[in-house]
Amino acid sequence: MSRELTGLYRSLAEDTDPRGLASPDVVRRHADRRARARAAVGVLALAALVGGTAVGTQFVLTAGPDTPVGPPAGTPAPPSVSPPPADPTPAPSVSSTPSALPSRTTPSAPPSAGGGPPVRTPTSIPDSAFFALAAANDTGAGAAFSDGPVLPRLCGAEPGGSGVVRQRVRAVPFKLATTPEGYVPDGLYRHSITSYRSGRADDALRELRAAVQGCPEQQIGSVTSRQKLLPDGGYGDESVLFEMRKPFLDANDEPTGDEEVRLIRAIRVGNVVTVLWEQGWEGSSSPKSQVDADSRRAVQAIRDWLD
Amino acid sequence: MRDAQSFDEFYRSTSPRTLRYGHAVAGDHGEAQDLVQEAYARAWRQWGKLASHPAPEAWLRLVVSRLATDRFRRLKGWRTAMSRTGPPQDVRPPGEDTVLLVGALRQLPANQRQALALHYLFDMPVEEIARETRVPTGTVKSWLSRGRSRLAELLPGVTSEELEVNDVA
Repeated sequence: MSRELTGLYRSLAEDTDPRGLASPDVVRRHADRRARARAAVGVLALAALVGGTAVGTQFVLTAGPDTPVGPPAGTPAPPSVSPPPADPTPAPSVSSTPSALPSRTTPSAPPSAGGGPPVRTPTSIPDSAFFALAAANDTGAGAAFSDGPVLPRLCGAEPGGSGVVRQRVRAVPFKLATTPEGYVPDGLYRHSITSYRSGRADDALRELRAAVQGCPEQQIGSVTSRQKLLPDGGYGDESVLFEMRKPFLDANDEPTGDEEVRLIRAIRVGNVVTVLWEQGWEGSSSPKSQVDADSRRAVQAIRDWLD
Repeated sequence: MRDAQSFDEFYRSTSPRTLRYGHAVAGDHGEAQDLVQEAYARAWRQWGKLASHPAPEAWLRLVVSRLATDRFRRLKGWRTAMSRTGPPQDVRPPGEDTVLLVGALRQLPANQRQALALHYLFDMPVEEIARETRVPTGTVKSWLSRGRSRLAELLPGVTSEELEVNDVA
């Protein structure tokens, strides 16, 4: 039977082969055209949902001067078919060997209420420090760790670029709770965790605020991107939220009159800064409520790790 | 930056077997064309990252599998896009074996079709199928066993006992 079934599948393969697919250039063109069209729809939907408060950001720790504001339409992380790599430079686990760490306090960091224990500077960042999506938001595609920028370009500034002890970055596709399972994700986080030397984490956020304020406009490709700080609070010890807006271009690179909006939030927890850079999917953006909810999960995961 | 040349090379080298897989999973050749082209379109949109992925072809199959079970997918654009490339080639109709197999596969759950296709079209062992589908090996064995038993019921001359003895690794 095995052989028989193998033969049936072989027949299927032989019958499939002559009826091939379109040429790759047709697939690419069609994909690009549709992504642009979808982006326009996504922007309109977002505007209706959040009143245009979506933001896009990139912590410039490692951002190159020409780093695009966000991924091209539909640039999700390749779903991790294989397990994501561990911290590429293994170091003693903070959680497992706390005694191995010197007591690095953060004098400039707000002291914990009641004069709690000194703030530690982690020298490694385990996978467990990264939050898990709520089940309703999980696409099942997993997360992919990689190198690269953690913030979008901000007129060449590099906030938070100094005093870094360790940094890990991952890309996490997510879906909205109302999106059916198996359907294309609704957004993609570029999510980073950076540990800083004592007292440098709050410098990083201060530099980020200054970088956004000092970069109200910048040229990205053929369009002008506008950056603006948004009121924020209640996340970690302190946080910075900003948006990036730029005209949405159609398939012919002509402005449609719509805007593409991204949200970026950097949150400090002790000597650690985490950044959620919402990059959308195929031009769409997620509602601010989703970014807020995942920001809270990100903070909780870091606190659980540091405790 | 996405490299069109590397994508085109990847497409040309992998799309025939991905289409076979789509055919076996979707149970319809035309639908498989749509599914597979959609999967490659999504691959292209993130090619800047996917190009360095350790297993881009497995990723593609994952997308195809999901699209095949996604009742809400929107694939209508492909027919229009393909119509611009000219009329389809004249090809012979599918053979009797293919018709029988596809007809039987349509009556199997999606996960069983997926496991059987990975096993028979890609010669994957149970462990590898488990990794790709992200389920325990016991689950894969169950899918294969049940799938083959069901096929044995649906296809003349096939018995589930022979299938289990010979095929379940």
